[in-house]
Amino acid sequence: MAESDALTSLVTDAGRAIDAAATLDELSDVESTLMGKESAIAAARRGLKDLPADERRDAGRAINEVAETITESIRERRLVLSAAEQDAALAADRVDITQPARVPRRGTHHLVSEVLDEIIDIFASIGYRVARGPEAETDYYNFTALNIPQTHPARLETDTLYLDYRGVGEERTAGDERYPLAHAPNEVLLRTHTSPMQARYMEANDPPVHIVVPGRVFRNEALDPTHSPVFHQVEGLAVDDGITFADLKGTLAYFARQFFGPKQEVRFLPNHFPFTEPSAEMHVSCFSCGGSGCRICSQTGWIEMLGCGMVHPAVLEHVGYDPATVTGFAFGIGADRFAMVRHGITDLRHFFESDLRVLRQFS
Amino acid sequence: MRVTLRWLADFVDIPTDDPKAVADRLESLGHEVESIEPLGAHFTDVVVGRVTEIAAHPDADKVRVCQVDVGGSTSEIICGAWNFEAGALVPVAVPGAVLPGGFEITERTIRGVTSHGMICSGADLGLSDESEGILVLDDSFEIGRSFAEQLPLPDAVFDVAITPNRPDCMSVYGLARELAASYDLPLREVAPDIDTETEAPLTVRLEDPEGCPRYVARQVNGVTAAESPLWLQMRLRAAGVRPISNLVDATNYVLMELGHPTHAFDTDRLGDTIVVRRPTPEERMTTLDGQERALAASDLVIADAQRSIALAGLMGGADTEVDDSTSAVTIEAAYFDAPTVLFMSKRIGLRSEASARFERGVDPNLARLAADRVAELLVSIAGGEVGGIVDAYPAPIEPRHIDLELAEIPRVLGLDLEAAVIADYLRRLGFAVEAGSSLDVGVPTRRPDVTRPIDLVEEIARLHGYDEFPDRVAFGTGGGIGIEERRSRRLRETLVGAGFHEAMTFSFIGEDDLNRLGLPADDVRRDGIAVVNPLHAEEGVMRTTLLPGLLKAAAYNAARQVDDIALFETGKTFMSGGDVIPDQPDVVAFVTVGGEPATWQGPARSFDVFDAVGTWELIARSMRLDDVAIEQADIPPFHPERGARILHRGVTIGAVGEIHPAVAERFGIQGRVTAAEVELASVLADPGLWSFAAPSPFPPAVFDLAFEVPDGSSTKSVLDVVRAADDVEDVHVFDVFRGGSIA
Repeated sequence: MAESDALTSLVTDAGRAIDAAATLDELSDVESTLMGKESAIAAARRGLKDLPADERRDAGRAINEVAETITESIRERRLVLSAAEQDAALAADRVDITQPARVPRRGTHHLVSEVLDEIIDIFASIGYRVARGPEAETDYYNFTALNIPQTHPARLETDTLYLDYRGVGEERTAGDERYPLAHAPNEVLLRTHTSPMQARYMEANDPPVHIVVPGRVFRNEALDPTHSPVFHQVEGLAVDDGITFADLKGTLAYFARQFFGPKQEVRFLPNHFPFTEPSAEMHVSCFSCGGSGCRICSQTGWIEMLGCGMVHPAVLEHVGYDPATVTGFAFGIGADRFAMVRHGITDLRHFFESDLRVLRQFS
Repeated sequence: MRVTLRWLADFVDIPTDDPKAVADRLESLGHEVESIEPLGAHFTDVVVGRVTEIAAHPDADKVRVCQVDVGGSTSEIICGAWNFEAGALVPVAVPGAVLPGGFEITERTIRGVTSHGMICSGADLGLSDESEGILVLDDSFEIGRSFAEQLPLPDAVFDVAITPNRPDCMSVYGLARELAASYDLPLREVAPDIDTETEAPLTVRLEDPEGCPRYVARQVNGVTAAESPLWLQMRLRAAGVRPISNLVDATNYVLMELGHPTHAFDTDRLGDTIVVRRPTPEERMTTLDGQERALAASDLVIADAQRSIALAGLMGGADTEVDDSTSAVTIEAAYFDAPTVLFMSKRIGLRSEASARFERGVDPNLARLAADRVAELLVSIAGGEVGGIVDAYPAPIEPRHIDLELAEIPRVLGLDLEAAVIADYLRRLGFAVEAGSSLDVGVPTRRPDVTRPIDLVEEIARLHGYDEFPDRVAFGTGGGIGIEERRSRRLRETLVGAGFHEAMTFSFIGEDDLNRLGLPADDVRRDGIAVVNPLHAEEGVMRTTLLPGLLKAAAYNAARQVDDIALFETGKTFMSGGDVIPDQPDVVAFVTVGGEPATWQGPARSFDVFDAVGTWELIARSMRLDDVAIEQADIPPFHPERGARILHRGVTIGAVGEIHPAVAERFGIQGRVTAAEVELASVLADPGLWSFAAPSPFPPAVFDLAFEVPDGSSTKSVLDVVRAADDVEDVHVFDVFRGGSIA
């Protein structure tokens, strides 16, 4: 009876001591006091051998029950205390997460580069190959091969930058004797468009041809908000059996909707380029006002997008293709203008000044 | 080309008076309308009056007192202009009238005399820019009636951009023809009422019939120089031509109306011989702008027996110019070789309305009609009578014929049109069409642009309307973005990912930029190719290196207080040595100035040579370049002790390091500047496949090793030894100590 009372009070006292432990360390101390070699439990276990044999079994069981109860209480208390300590540690680790972070350095692609890549990707996705050509080009490829002879009126519109360059062992070939002021075909100039690559590519490859030619082009024009001596084009060329004006219209309308948005209307108006016939200019409905007229489209509801046309038979003849069996279309996209129109940039000079306050916006 | 709606309506009954609708129609035909300006009478209560009596003002000697019949009543009006006499018809603003600018007319008393209105000048009414006295009207105006109602208003001016292949549309008549064809309406014929076919007392000699295949000289005698009538002045002004006098205005009017340039010589100052020839050596002439000009053998001139009197198709001479005393004119309407006029105009640096048409090609068979139209107009506005004519046209130019296979239409346009529709389109545009198994098409000589069947196909497409054709996407045969293109994108993305901003600088630099780089005299980069006609001297040479462009860009940003500048560019350089065209290697270059700014986490850090080398190593890794190395070297414009050449497979492909401080200073940059420039050919080339190496199943053993080496030994030489040991996976330099003794 006395034995059992002692055990009961042991459990009660132990419970109190366990609850009183405020830290894991204190709990460990309590644990060794309650369960260690010097503990009442240990002493009780040691006393078992002095009991008569018939009591020993019940007494042992009672001691074990008490020991289990205390151990369980310690385990529960330990869970509670360790959770609290973890919380405290986390609380101590708190930061102001709105402090400036460590942002890995990252630059920006030039907007014109991005637009060039985007145009290339749209055409690559419908099976066109990318080709690139020289920027310093011969008069022949820039003009003559494109049906723009030395005396052609279209030359008037093309203010060309010429280079003081003679190839290794090259003499100036004779121009037109009647017009001594005309340029000779092997004079070197800065290409005024990406179109020379039409002739170079077709000379080197048989039809079918489906290419886009991105690149830098040059004009003798002073830099101002809408003109630059350096700008960028993407030329396109498709030549095959059975290509018609319908292919030109459908392909370019597809491109316009990919680039500007699926709801864009397009229209084609006649125009003139010496290397295409018929020639056209494609307009896209203004993506800013949707066609009702605004500042961006000069109140017309339309934005001039690109020049295009069916490849002129003379161009095909120049490269040794037979215009009676193949036809094709070609187009030229002004990438800088596309970028300006789409992003509301009104001054072309921003593209070439390398002002980081501008470049950083081109993310 | 500026034309008015009413002027167009002289030749075709346009079925709308909405200028926008007409502009849309012109655009659908390929004639871009750049602007539409409405023309109207911006005044009210102005009537036509006749000045019946003029008297001096009793107390003012600069003005006169006029009695003006304004229709049933007479008004007393004071006027300060003196360019009219009694009997003149004039516009009168009556009290209550409002003139342009809101200027209201009231009765005013001037020194005791009351003026009941105002007699108006053209400028007062907004009809001309300059005030040249009172607007004196011709007898066609009705007294007492509103002046505005008797003017050809309202009207609209279209500014039309004519493509260079369509000289025939550089005229009112030409655009009217396009509208008539499009609307399928008749085009009124221009038929001057002239029956004098007698030969003029002139000898015309064409010494260079290739330069001038036709020369028409039509004379008009007994003319009186005066102001042109108001309607004609208004049309010229609308067309952007300043009225001068009836004699000159008549030629300009016909130039705008028919598109054929003509020139009026004063017959009395002209000899009896006209020669069209190439200039003699050393020949000079004074053009009517007063400039004496040296002539070249490739020019073409009009001359009399002694001297040149005009530059063919470009400008008349001062000696034979018409003026107020002229009483007889000889009208030249010629056809000159287009390239001859083009190159003469370019050589002299002079362009005119006439040369703009000749250099694109006018209609040789329109010359006579144009001369006669000027003669007819002169008689009606300057009096006199039509005189004789000489038409030198030794080898008449016949219309070209083109055989058009009907199958070409669907083959090129993707739409089958009926033969009758095709023939109709072409006829409406003035082509002669004979139908058969194919169409035999006669091309009017006004259309130098139509030379082969495809040109007719375009005409058909234009009239049919481009938007009427079907749409179809033409898919390509594949290929897409090739390996070099993809690697070029990876290169740019690597640099962007490393904090660099992509720049695009011009491809030209100045000779001075190469000096600033401090390149030695024999450096290939000094051998830049000159631009023959540069925009500025500082853009006179093609770049042989991208560094000047980037250094200038860095300086631009440094001047704007940007303290972490990191720029790169990829692009072509231009080197002498190519067979026909220059070598144009693609290059990448980058530049940094400044560094990472101080933050709450740490102090600022300046970019130095190891950032540049590290960036290059990042590129090499990202591009999977094998066998790359750097070798410390003194390579201008780099710092002699902080620069290296870059080798790929043993070949030098570029340089990296800090820019020489003196170079940086010459470009206006303070502090350390790092840079690199690398040729891309081998960087972008396909590096081939790489092989996988399975990671070791054993845990690594890490050793800290210290080496003592003589000062001046390169770190690389130590690392090479370590790396050469068996089973070394990675080597990491964790400290470098210089000086003293390690022990």
